[in-house]
Amino acid sequence: MKTALALLITLAILVSTAFARSQEGRDVPAAAGLKGPGKRKALNIMNPAISLVLDTFYYSTSLSADELEAREIPGYRTFHEEDHGHAHGEAEKGFNLRNAELSFLAPADPYFNIYITIPVSETGTELEEAYFVTTSLPAGLQIKGGKFRSGFGRFNAFHQHARNFVDPPLPYRAFLGDEGLIEKGIQVTYLPELPVYTLMGMEVLQGSNEVLFSDGTKDGPHAYGGFVKTSVDLTEQSTILFGVSVVYGNTKTSSIEHDSELDGNSTIYGAEFTYKWKPSRDRSLIFQGEYMLRDQTGDYTEDATVPTPPERLERSQDGLYLQALYQSGRWRAGARYGVLGILEDDFILSGTPKDLGSTPYRVTGSLEFVPTEFSLIRLQYNHDRSARGGKENNELFLQFILSIGAHGAHTF
Amino acid sequence: MLRLLCILSLLLLAGPVYAKVNIVATLPWIGSLAKDIGRDRVEVSVLVRPSHDPHYVEARPSMILALRKTHILLYNGLDLEAGYLQVLVESSRNPRVQPGMPGNVDCSRFIEAIGKEENVDRAMGDIHPLGNPHYHFSPDNILRVAEGIATALAGIDVQNGAYYKANLDAFRKRLKKKQKEWFKLPVRGKRFIAFHRLFEYLARDFGFEIIGYIEPRPGIPPSTAHLQRLAGLIEQENPDAILITTNYGRREARWLSQRTGVKTIVVPHEVGAAMPKGSTEDWFGFMDRVLGAIGEIK
Repeated sequence: MKTALALLITLAILVSTAFARSQEGRDVPAAAGLKGPGKRKALNIMNPAISLVLDTFYYSTSLSADELEAREIPGYRTFHEEDHGHAHGEAEKGFNLRNAELSFLAPADPYFNIYITIPVSETGTELEEAYFVTTSLPAGLQIKGGKFRSGFGRFNAFHQHARNFVDPPLPYRAFLGDEGLIEKGIQVTYLPELPVYTLMGMEVLQGSNEVLFSDGTKDGPHAYGGFVKTSVDLTEQSTILFGVSVVYGNTKTSSIEHDSELDGNSTIYGAEFTYKWKPSRDRSLIFQGEYMLRDQTGDYTEDATVPTPPERLERSQDGLYLQALYQSGRWRAGARYGVLGILEDDFILSGTPKDLGSTPYRVTGSLEFVPTEFSLIRLQYNHDRSARGGKENNELFLQFILSIGAHGAHTF
Repeated sequence: MLRLLCILSLLLLAGPVYAKVNIVATLPWIGSLAKDIGRDRVEVSVLVRPSHDPHYVEARPSMILALRKTHILLYNGLDLEAGYLQVLVESSRNPRVQPGMPGNVDCSRFIEAIGKEENVDRAMGDIHPLGNPHYHFSPDNILRVAEGIATALAGIDVQNGAYYKANLDAFRKRLKKKQKEWFKLPVRGKRFIAFHRLFEYLARDFGFEIIGYIEPRPGIPPSTAHLQRLAGLIEQENPDAILITTNYGRREARWLSQRTGVKTIVVPHEVGAAMPKGSTEDWFGFMDRVLGAIGEIK
C-alpha cells in the first residue's frame, strides 16, 4: 500500500515535471522565418492520420469443412467455440474477407498520442486497440494505457496486416490465440541512456485473453508482465534484437478441450531473436525466432456440462518458431517452421502424465509480390501436423492486403 | 523512501547543462550543415547512411537510442521521413524532440518548396503533396536552412549564440563565393532525362531542364513499354545526358544509352554518397561533385 502511494506520488511529480518543461519550451520563440505550415490546410493538420487496410484471401485446405471445425492441437487447445458458427478467427474454405482495418492516430495534446484500431468485418466491428502513449515524461519513461498489444514477445506487437505470414506462428496460436495478447491495462517502459539500446517494460493487464487467461470470469486486473529488449547494429546494413519477456496471470478457460474448464493460473516466458540485413531498398533478409514456455496449474473439469469433481492439471509446454524472409526487388520469399513440445510437453492430470502423441509442428512457405508500400499479394502454403496423430492439414492461401490513407510508420 | 523519491523527481526539474549540444540529423546533408554551424560545440549523429535511399529507411532501435540522447532533431520534412520518423520520435521518450518543441526542427519550414500538388492520390505514385522534398540541391535553400539551424541552436544553447552566428556568417560567405564558381559551369540551357524527380531544384537554380523521367511515376519502376516510349523521346529531343544516382536506374540508363547513344552520368544523391571508403565530404564537396559531373557534359 505504502509502495503504491509512493509510486503514485512519484508518477504525479514526473507528469507535472513534464508539463512544466513543456511549458518552458513553448515560451522560447520558435525559429524565425517559418514558412510552409501556414500554407497547409489547417483542418487537415488537425485531423488524425486515418488509414484503412483491406485484408482478403482465398483459402484452400485438404480438410473437409467438418474436420476444419473440429480441429485442435491435442493437449494444447481446441479451436471450437460454441457461440460461433465456425471456429474463432479461422479461415473458411473459399473466399474470406478478414476485415477492413480502420486506424486513427493523432496527438491529443502535447502530452499524449492516441491510437485507435477498429477492424470492421462482415460480422461486426471491434475495438481491437484504443490507447494513449505519453510523449513528454522525463527520464526516458513512457506510459501506455487503454487496450493495447502487450510488449510480450516479438510477433505480438505486429498488426495483422504487418505480419509476415497470413497466420500467426504455431506457438502463438497454441498459447495466446491468433490475435495475440491484446489486453486492457497499463504499461510503463523505460529507455535509459545507455551505449546500447535497452528497453525495459512492466505491465498490469486485465487478463482477458481467452486462451491464456480468462474470458472475464476472473476479477481483474490479475495479469502482470515484464520485458527487456536490447538491440545493436552489427554493421551499417544489419541489426540484431534480443528480448526476454514474462507474463503471469489467473486462468479460467475452456480453450483446452471442447466443453472443458480449467481454473488456475498461468505463467508464460518468452525469448526472442531478430536479425535484419537491408543493404538497399531492393534487397533484405530478416531472420526471426521465438521460444515460449507456458506453465499452468489448476483444477480441470474435462466435461463441464455434467457435474464432476475437478482434477488437478499441470501443463508445462513450450514452443518455438523460426522464420526467414528474403526480399529481392518487388518479390519476397518466406519460410517458417513452428514446433510445440520441444523440451517440455507435460500434460499431467491428477499426477498421471498423459501421452498425447507425436510432436505438433507446421512448415510454411510463402511468396509475396509487393508492388508498392500500399499493396501486397501473398501466396502461402502450410503443411500442418499440429493435430499430432490426427489428420494432417495442407493449406493454401492467396492473400491481398491493400491500404489507403495515411502513410503507416514502420517499426523495426 | 517517499522523501528520496521526491528529491529525485525534483532533481529532474533542473535545466540542462551542455558540454556539447547533441544533434541528430536524419539525413547526411543536414548533418553536414549542422557541423558547419555548430563546429566543436556540437556532437552530430546522422540516422540515414549516405548510401541509403531516403525514401525507404528501415527504422532501427539504435536510431531511437540516438534520439533519446539528443537535444535537437533536424529533419528534411515534406513527408520524406513519413515512413519512420513519427515512430522514432515517440519511441525516443525524449520530450525535447516532440513535435512543437524547440528541439524538433523541420528544415523544410525555412524554404519555399516547389512542385506542390493540390489534387493528388496514390494512383500517381509516391508523390509528395507538400512539395518536392529534395531541396538540398539548391544553394539558396541551403543558406536558409543554415540560418534556421543557427537560430534553433542559439535558442537552445543561448550562451553560445554569438558563436553560432559567427559560424553562420562564415558559411554564408563561403556559399556566396562557391555559388559564383558554380554559376560559371556550363550547365545553363542543358536538357536531361532523370530517373526520379530529384534534380528539380538544381534545374531551377542553374537553368537547365529535365525533359523526361525513367520512373513513369515517382516510386514506380518503369515497364518496358515506358522505356520504349522514353527511347523515342530521347531520339526525338536529343537531350544532353541521362542523369541517374548510384542507387537506381543503372540498368535502365545503360539500355537507353545503348539504344540512343545519349550519355549517362552518375551523380551522388546525398552528401557522402558513392565516396571511397573512409573519406568524408561536406555539402560543398557534394555540390562540387554534382555540378562538376553535369558541367562536364559536352
